[in-house]
Amino acid sequence: MKKIFEVARWEYIEKIKTKTFIISLILTPAILILFSITPTFLTQQEITHTKTIGIVDTSGLYIKGMRDKLSEYTIEDNQPNYIVINRTLKNRSLNDLKKSADKDVINEKIEGYLLIENAGTDSVSISYRSKSLGNLKDVNKFETAFNEIRIKLKFDKENVRPYLLDYISQSVELNQIKIEESGKETENDFLLTFFSSFVFIMLLMMMILYSGGMLIRSLVEEKSNRIIEILISSCTPNELLSGKILGLSALGLTQIFIWIVIGISLASASVVPLEAFSNVLPILIYFILGFVFYTSLFVGIGSVVTSEQEAQQITTYLSLLLVLPIIFVLPALENPDAFYIKILSYIPFTLPSFMMLRLNISPVPMWEILSTILIMIISIYLMIDFSGKIFRIGILSYGKRPTLKELSQWLKEK
Amino acid sequence: MLVVENLRKEYKNVVAVDNISFKVEEGRIFGILGPNGAGKTTTIRTVLNIIKPDSGQITFKGKPITNEFFNIIGYLPEERGLYRKSKVIDVIQYFAGLKNMPRKKAYSKAKYWLQKLEIEQYIDKRIEELSKGNQQKIQFIISVIHNPKLLILDEPFTGFDPISQTLIKEMILSFITSGKIIILSTHQMETVEKLCPDILLMNKGKEVYKGTLNNLKRNFGVNTVKIAFEGDAGFIGFLPEVKNIDRYSNYAEVQLNENVDPSEFLKILVDKIRIKHFSLLEPTLNKIFIDVIKQIKAQ
Repeated sequence: MKKIFEVARWEYIEKIKTKTFIISLILTPAILILFSITPTFLTQQEITHTKTIGIVDTSGLYIKGMRDKLSEYTIEDNQPNYIVINRTLKNRSLNDLKKSADKDVINEKIEGYLLIENAGTDSVSISYRSKSLGNLKDVNKFETAFNEIRIKLKFDKENVRPYLLDYISQSVELNQIKIEESGKETENDFLLTFFSSFVFIMLLMMMILYSGGMLIRSLVEEKSNRIIEILISSCTPNELLSGKILGLSALGLTQIFIWIVIGISLASASVVPLEAFSNVLPILIYFILGFVFYTSLFVGIGSVVTSEQEAQQITTYLSLLLVLPIIFVLPALENPDAFYIKILSYIPFTLPSFMMLRLNISPVPMWEILSTILIMIISIYLMIDFSGKIFRIGILSYGKRPTLKELSQWLKEK
Repeated sequence: MLVVENLRKEYKNVVAVDNISFKVEEGRIFGILGPNGAGKTTTIRTVLNIIKPDSGQITFKGKPITNEFFNIIGYLPEERGLYRKSKVIDVIQYFAGLKNMPRKKAYSKAKYWLQKLEIEQYIDKRIEELSKGNQQKIQFIISVIHNPKLLILDEPFTGFDPISQTLIKEMILSFITSGKIIILSTHQMETVEKLCPDILLMNKGKEVYKGTLNNLKRNFGVNTVKIAFEGDAGFIGFLPEVKNIDRYSNYAEVQLNENVDPSEFLKILVDKIRIKHFSLLEPTLNKIFIDVIKQIKAQ
């Protein structure tokens, strides 16, 4: 036992001092935050300048209404969001009007213009013509304004009472409420759920890949330097293996701990909503179990590898296995009770990420949580045993990579 | 005493070690010799309990070698290497810790040894900053820091300059008086001639010779004399006692047939020519080694 701790201590201290560890510690969450926050941040940014918009409507029915509606929108300092210019000159054909308006757009006299055709009929249409495709928000505003006026015109024509117009222009949004076991209810946001599931799975994946790669590299170094011979003339292969797993797991925990501290401080600074941390305890358990499971696998595989290149190859293959749950995040969000999601959340290789996913989407019964945790613990035990058998012989075989047949022989050896 | 009996280890159709037995007493240095692939490393690994033999027994002071012996074994593997990015003192303390040495004691012992090998100024340097020879010294320290009772050195001198070689040799000799059992595997014959009174010569997993070095020389040593003379020595080549002659103008190296006493041979010579010098040539271990291996290959 003492020797296991000695190995673990060495692995932990030597690895925590490396530059790559410090870089990954900061870089991993930084990348994740960058990827998840930047797009929302950018789209939510306030519009800072007034846009000049043209309007072409040969019937003249829509011009005043559109101008009134769009001038209701303001930006900072009460400046109008849009200035609407009438580009409909009298006695000109539609084609001519289009040509001259297009020219203005190209010359940047106007941002773009709204072209209304067949006004007054039921087949009225509107298009927005500009150099670049319109900002989603602008387009929404134009659409709403246009449709309100279109209905109003129709109502006026048919003598419908005007107050009905207000009634139909209001729509009721559907609220999604997630019911938790404890009886408390949280308003659920699809994006938030996606975001937090995605973040946890990505974190697990990146951590496993990073520390697995590190583990394999250090095993390759120990083998090529024959340090391994001194090591196993000092302790048993099993002690060495357990020490390595323990040391790396401690390293992983340190990483998680620091990330949680970062996460909580971000939450208290309300950059990340606190709801992202509900369910954090079971998720943490799956996270750690998943990490230990994969670390044990990497130790076994790493002992067979004989060169840096091979190590890289194998890490790549394993990373594909780890990416798998990411593909399923969206379908699982749409249908969390799908049969294949359940199945995948019981297979040790995918169990941790799928359980993390399921916990985020819908309440998971306690018996499922307990049984999957039990499955994970048993799998870790079996994986350590499996890796141990390969490790024992693998670390002493140099040169050629063993064939599958040889590997199965190693597994049978007592 | 370390006793190895009828050791056998087979790898996929290759018998790496075939029925090897030997004993090493406290305070003796035992040399294992042989060409590449002779089975030296496999023998050492089984003694270290790194691999399990297919059959045979290894006992240390009457007890079979088990994992309990880890802490009293010191091992210097043939191929050298350490954690390049780590500090000298950290690496030494780690390996000492694996031998159950308390960290504080390991630190003071490390200082002592670094001083003794004249590299104490590197204590806080990274391994990769050290020269190759100095890295080897660190590795030597790692193999002896926990004062092992059984010390196994695989080619301990390769890569050292002559000054360091002498330094290491003195260390090894000092272990004799402290009663360690030392096994030295090498193909450097000079080392063995200087250090090992007992040797085991191996080839292709089999024992070729086992015993004292002196006996080996007597058994395998060719009966060669060197003479310096005046006069016509052409007749020597035709004498029935002579197996082979290497003749120059006024001296010759003569290989005699077995069972010919060199002093009887001298008697024949003195009657015919004037002898200015007569001496027995002692064969070097190197020559024996090559001859024996050749002999076996020819069979």
